[in-house]
Amino acid sequence: MTVEIDTRPLWLIIALRALRPIFFAALLVLFIALLYMPAPAGLSPEGQKAIAIFAVCFILWISNALPLAITSLFAIVLVPLFGVLSKRETYALFGNEAVFFILGAFILAGAVMHSGLSTRVALTIMDRFGASPKRLILSIFLLAAALSFLMSEHAVAAMLFPIVFEISKGLNLKPGASNYGKLLFFSLAWGCVIGGVATFLGGARVPLAIGILKETTGKTIEFSDYIIAVFPIVIALLFAGYFIMTYFFPIDVTDIDKAHNVLGKRIKTLGKITYMEYAVGVVMLVTILAWVFLGKRFGLAGIALSSVVALFVLRLVRWKDIEEYVNWGIILMYGGAIILGAALDKSGAASWLVNSIMGGWSDSPVVVFALLSLLTIALTEAMSNAAVIVILLPVSIGLADKLSIDPAAMTYAIAVPAGLAFMFPMSTPANAIAVSSNYISVRDMAKGGFIMCVLSWLVFNLAAAFYWPLIGMGYLK
Amino acid sequence: MKKKSYLDNPATLKIDLMLRGLRIADPLVKAWACGATGIDIMLPGRTIANIPCSEGFTAASPYAIRKRGERYAITDGTGEVEVSLVPRPKFYDGKTSTGVSFSKIAQVHGSLLVITPSPACEFFNAKVECRYCAGNFDRTGKEDAVYTVEDVVETVGAAIAELGSPVVYLSIGFSRDPSGGMEFLRPYLQAIKRHYNCLTAVEALPPKDNHWIDETYAMGADSALYNVEIYDEELFKIICPGRATLIGRKRYLDALEYAAKIFPSGTVSSHLIVGLEPPGSTCQGIDFLTGIGVVPVLPIYRPTTNKALRIDPLTTEIIIPVYKHLYKAVKTKGINLNWVRDLSMVTTPVELKGLVEGAGKNVSLVDTFYGTRLGKKAAWGMSTLRRKLRVKGTHGQSGH
Repeated sequence: MTVEIDTRPLWLIIALRALRPIFFAALLVLFIALLYMPAPAGLSPEGQKAIAIFAVCFILWISNALPLAITSLFAIVLVPLFGVLSKRETYALFGNEAVFFILGAFILAGAVMHSGLSTRVALTIMDRFGASPKRLILSIFLLAAALSFLMSEHAVAAMLFPIVFEISKGLNLKPGASNYGKLLFFSLAWGCVIGGVATFLGGARVPLAIGILKETTGKTIEFSDYIIAVFPIVIALLFAGYFIMTYFFPIDVTDIDKAHNVLGKRIKTLGKITYMEYAVGVVMLVTILAWVFLGKRFGLAGIALSSVVALFVLRLVRWKDIEEYVNWGIILMYGGAIILGAALDKSGAASWLVNSIMGGWSDSPVVVFALLSLLTIALTEAMSNAAVIVILLPVSIGLADKLSIDPAAMTYAIAVPAGLAFMFPMSTPANAIAVSSNYISVRDMAKGGFIMCVLSWLVFNLAAAFYWPLIGMGYLK
Repeated sequence: MKKKSYLDNPATLKIDLMLRGLRIADPLVKAWACGATGIDIMLPGRTIANIPCSEGFTAASPYAIRKRGERYAITDGTGEVEVSLVPRPKFYDGKTSTGVSFSKIAQVHGSLLVITPSPACEFFNAKVECRYCAGNFDRTGKEDAVYTVEDVVETVGAAIAELGSPVVYLSIGFSRDPSGGMEFLRPYLQAIKRHYNCLTAVEALPPKDNHWIDETYAMGADSALYNVEIYDEELFKIICPGRATLIGRKRYLDALEYAAKIFPSGTVSSHLIVGLEPPGSTCQGIDFLTGIGVVPVLPIYRPTTNKALRIDPLTTEIIIPVYKHLYKAVKTKGINLNWVRDLSMVTTPVELKGLVEGAGKNVSLVDTFYGTRLGKKAAWGMSTLRRKLRVKGTHGQSGH
């Protein structure tokens, strides 16, 4: 920990410190007011309590006044405490399949990283395919995307960052000034962001969304169905991303031999491929095939956890090795979010909210779908993508029911745009990691990111309108 | 011409006494001084002074201390003023549990409890020690001469039990450590802060990087001193060759400027020794230091026999305008005067009130309050609260 001294005037520091207790006191007052105000017509007492809890959690999530996971735990406490759901029902919801799928995915990704397989694949691809400045950028971009198909985009960004940073240093690129330096880190960040929405594995938000869908409607989305629906969007965005990056920051280097020296040295230190890398690679491959072909029969979480057991049976990892890769905060957060979503739905609060707030938006499914996806993209730039899902999805599913939109399609409208955060470092860790290199400024990111956000929204809605009907999907039930 | 008397003004009397010393004839007072180079005497107006009494030059001093019944008085031959002897702290007679005498570890100087945990100063090893330095520091820096944290904490405990809330003043000689000695002092400072509710001051060397100044404040120092000693650039190089070559005058001034932004007003100080450079140069130093929010502390150069530096000390008549200038500069710049106070070895700005016309002769209510036990506790509380508000650690970014 580095010490930092706040040299602002003391009165200002005290005033800012006082804001926190004032904030929590105001939140308490709001909560009590929402609980005890006369119930509006059509809203049950449980629904009113669910809305009060939701409002408090909503404010805590967007303000980040508490860690996201702690807000979720708070929701878990409040829901049974105020009788919205029974204790038994509340805690049982934490055992949702999505939570265990996320846990399994974390452990599998941890095993891949711990074995060194992911680093080897990354280095080899960059070295083999990055022969020219343009191809090196492309290989980093596509590699980041491809790896994010299989593991958390956050983990991919963290894993590739030191390699890309070494390349930029090796090429003597000047931070903040070099276009090529910017391109290296944009390709890392945007590759992760775009790749992260391609499958269930790029982030825990899609499993979370499916968990909420399942709890509220009993429906689900299969691994393969999701990929078929989203993959063309990902391909289009990869093209768009590369074009926008190189348009804003034209390549300004001609020689990247030094980058290959860096990669060559790194590859040498890895030595030959180990049994553990092979074995973990095979387990991962089998797992993905099982998700695609057997997901419906055995469940995604069941397959993920079986693969985890296999890793330990084959002694490919020890608990100590993968413990650090398991983000328990995310798991707690998602468990709590699913409970809150279910509370809103089962208490009738979600449908009441839809009728009274969103009911007047439009009767057109296309317009509602477009507006919700736009709202999601806008919100995810400023807040956690998981929080966006928790806040919007239960209400949106209620709206879907009212407009006869397929709730699964509505889940896509929230889950996919929630991952498309291009504009700010706080939008997603991949962006934050890229900005931390000092090659990209926040202004650079916002400039290119805004165009990407608009393009993503257009591409997503065009795909929903014209591509999904071709594969038997549609807005309507 | 009539001989000038300083007896009627405690501030000028303190300056003159510190410059010329005191003759002691009374065997009881001699015993009281216990062979120390100076004796702590409380002058009128609760002005405490450490007055030389054993150096050769004191034999020519016009001042002598006389017993008047149960009391004492200082006379200059033309008149006399009643004073009292500052009792020798009782804890000096005690020892730590490892057998080290408390008086070896800590000395009381007015409101300060001065502790130098290690006597090492590498200026001596490099033969670039300050020319006026009386050699308080050990040249070898043997490890067995370093007091342990436990011994120091025990000593501070004994002193606090007797004296109430002295300001614990930790000092260190030069080392090549980039922290300016703070890495060495850290465990002492933190242990003292952990055990006792007391204010602390640190006399160290300017660190290489300013982040060490942040660290110094964060680890619990309530006051910092980086003593430039001489403001004149050329004299600084000659008199303080180690400071000039191994640290540099610019670094001293930069570090002081930065520290004044981090520490509370009036708690960052620097010594400017009066008498080792022309008074005009000292005044320039005062102006510069007060301009960056630093309190200049002006010790008076007293020649010692064991050093080769042959500079005749200035006279009181010449020195007094320098002190007046100090008071006016500190007041003009609005620097808090309550930290640097009640020091026996130097004349502090608070004591100079009586010297400057229109400054108000009386000690204010605030001055009196901060001198009391309650005032010291309040100062500690305010200082601790300020640190809690100002210091923050930087953490890694949380995930999304």
